[in-house]
Amino acid sequence: MIHSIEEASRFLRFENDPTDMALFVRTSSEDMKGWDRKRIVEALLRETKVDPITAEQISKDVEELVIRSGISMVTAPLVRELVNSKLIERGLEEARRMHTRLGVPLHDVDQLIIHPNRENANVPHGPEATNLTLAERIKKEYALLSVFSQDVADAHMRGDIHIHDLGFVDRPYCSGQSLEYLKKFGLNLPNSLAIAKPAKHPEVLLAHMVKFAAALQSHFAGAIGWDAVNLFFAPYLRGMSSRDIEQLAQMLVFEFSQQAVARGGQAIFTDINLYWEVPSHFEDVPAIGPGGTFTGFTYGDYLPEAQRFVWAIFDILKEGDAMGRPFFFPKPLVHMTERFFTTPGHEDFLAHICEVAGEKGSTYFVFDRGSTAKISECCRLSFRLKENDLRDAKEPWKMRYCAMQNVTLNLPRIAYEAKGDDHRLFSEITRRMELAAKAHTQKRIFIERLLSLGESGPLGLLTMKRDGEPYLRLHRASYLIGMVGLNELVQAHLGQELHESNEALRFGLKVIAHMKLVADRLSQKHNMKFVLEQTPAESTAYRFAKLDLESYDGAALSCVKGNPDCGEVYYTNSTYLNVGAPINPIDRVRLEGLFHPIIEAGALTHIWLGETRPSKDSLANFVVKVFRWTQNDQIAFSPEFTTCLECGRTYRGLRVCCPRCGSPNIEGMTRITGYFSKISGWNKGKLGELKDRHRNGKLL
Amino acid sequence: MTLFTKEGCAKCDYIKNKFDLKALGVSIEVLGPENPDALAHLAWHGLVGVAESHMPILVLDDSSYLVDVVPIIRHLNGIVRQSS
Repeated sequence: MIHSIEEASRFLRFENDPTDMALFVRTSSEDMKGWDRKRIVEALLRETKVDPITAEQISKDVEELVIRSGISMVTAPLVRELVNSKLIERGLEEARRMHTRLGVPLHDVDQLIIHPNRENANVPHGPEATNLTLAERIKKEYALLSVFSQDVADAHMRGDIHIHDLGFVDRPYCSGQSLEYLKKFGLNLPNSLAIAKPAKHPEVLLAHMVKFAAALQSHFAGAIGWDAVNLFFAPYLRGMSSRDIEQLAQMLVFEFSQQAVARGGQAIFTDINLYWEVPSHFEDVPAIGPGGTFTGFTYGDYLPEAQRFVWAIFDILKEGDAMGRPFFFPKPLVHMTERFFTTPGHEDFLAHICEVAGEKGSTYFVFDRGSTAKISECCRLSFRLKENDLRDAKEPWKMRYCAMQNVTLNLPRIAYEAKGDDHRLFSEITRRMELAAKAHTQKRIFIERLLSLGESGPLGLLTMKRDGEPYLRLHRASYLIGMVGLNELVQAHLGQELHESNEALRFGLKVIAHMKLVADRLSQKHNMKFVLEQTPAESTAYRFAKLDLESYDGAALSCVKGNPDCGEVYYTNSTYLNVGAPINPIDRVRLEGLFHPIIEAGALTHIWLGETRPSKDSLANFVVKVFRWTQNDQIAFSPEFTTCLECGRTYRGLRVCCPRCGSPNIEGMTRITGYFSKISGWNKGKLGELKDRHRNGKLL
Repeated sequence: MTLFTKEGCAKCDYIKNKFDLKALGVSIEVLGPENPDALAHLAWHGLVGVAESHMPILVLDDSSYLVDVVPIIRHLNGIVRQSS
């Protein structure tokens, strides 16, 4: 038995007869084995479609090469690469692909352990984050080699499209969940060490929700959205004192803010959907209460409790954390339906949530006009509930939805290639959407394969059938097609940005209308629900801009935003108007909102406040105008903050040092795409965008 | 004025057959799977949501709109009377 590298070295000598060769190989299973070229043959036969004779010949060639080279240390990865070179020499490219070893160079691992990765501003630097990054890299390579076909993978690598969350290829994307599932079935998960019956007390229900969220987060790449949270908690709150409801609200907010357990040490990306009114589709639904039993009342009867709870949640959000900072999670999405405006107390509630919006920026205002009902998940993704979904509302534990994947188009690049030719532009958009659809079908096939392994497979939780149906309702999954840089596409194609003329804006609408119709056709063709989404594009807008500056420097240089000299470059996100354009906020909301009805999977408009603090009344007035006079789906007001890490005070605006103690040890934070995060974690593209943002606070 | 119609819409066809829309200064947009211009035009007027449950839609010169057959016919009859 070899106990050390030194000891092993004494054995590394070469004999002419390879069978006597005392050559050791450091294997990937962390041991040292004696050289045996048969292992090369076995690997080739197991992993590729190479015939036995070729495998034998290759193994002999590699053995000869090793002997001739006088290599003093052989590792399994080195042997594998030597085999791969022989496969290439023989023109066996497919076999080489199948025989590829995935991994990360030593230097890169060293750098990753030391320096933070800025692809996701949510991920704090640390060992878990490093584990995440390394695992993601391998899974990304795996996805591009094994899940997606070469044309799809190449399109991603070139930057024609972006396949999001490749490092999480073995998970669906985002999801919408229902507390009713937990209330009815308790916390009963595959591989769980203990099973809990349905909660009898609201604190226990909250505990179940938090644990389930953590379990779900390990099965979804993106956000976990919860529908009608205050309404579904309400049957547990009857008879509770205001103090106890406030305490529960505090527990909910802090639990979801501080659960740094997911995906590299991030908080669970949590959206909670909230209502002041009882949505019509839940009004007559029998309510589930303590112990998972029906209470004999409907949810319409629990309006007072639901309102007390949502009010208390916003009390906590208004206070902020111990340093007065806004909570990054959970994200509170307040849905406003037509019914909102006829529900007593709505004016006071609107003022309350607007006060929080102005103070902390926490509130997301979601507008469900007409008969629209939505569940929001992630920073803008939402599901519009259709007729069959509303039928499910009678058994609300069934209301579980997911988006399987997002594939985003690089719109400006299409314009560069079209060179002003409309026909070519729209044809190319169609072609790339067809490629995106191909990527989606390949992802779906892969996930179906994992799901077919049932509760003992890698996605066991998603296959559990506590209500007789798999937890992941694949037949209701959406497949997202996103877009980045509509503004720059129009700029390149027409010479004007979206905000610069009606013609430019109408052309932009035509592009998105075209995409919507293509998505509909693809849905029919593939029997899959393709929908457009405004890609959050935290890093994609930066990635595309960088790639295009390399490949289309002339055309891209005149369109890319930010500062190319320092690398802080970006494309305008999705269908947004130029973030730096000095547009009146109501106009921005109105004009951006024109796109929202054709972007079925959700959209959001930001109103950047900077350091100003508009009054709650002015914000409330603004929100009502947006609901009544625009088509905008969702808005969020985004103030900026600086926290001093020395004295612990928090101030409005982004500062270079603490106004009180003068320390430069400060931390800035504001909304990056659809969530708050610390600016120190932002990538260069987002930093460039931050500098350009037109702050609207004074106009409110 | 613009009349938004869609394929297979009997009410839309009724109005198109009843009036000489071109003579009345009404252009026709036909919403369909191959017509992004029409959808974009509809979105420009902020009427995508309306069109999901009401067709046809007549957008007037001041960008206000009428939905359903009776109000549209009444309005167009008014124009016919004025011009005759």
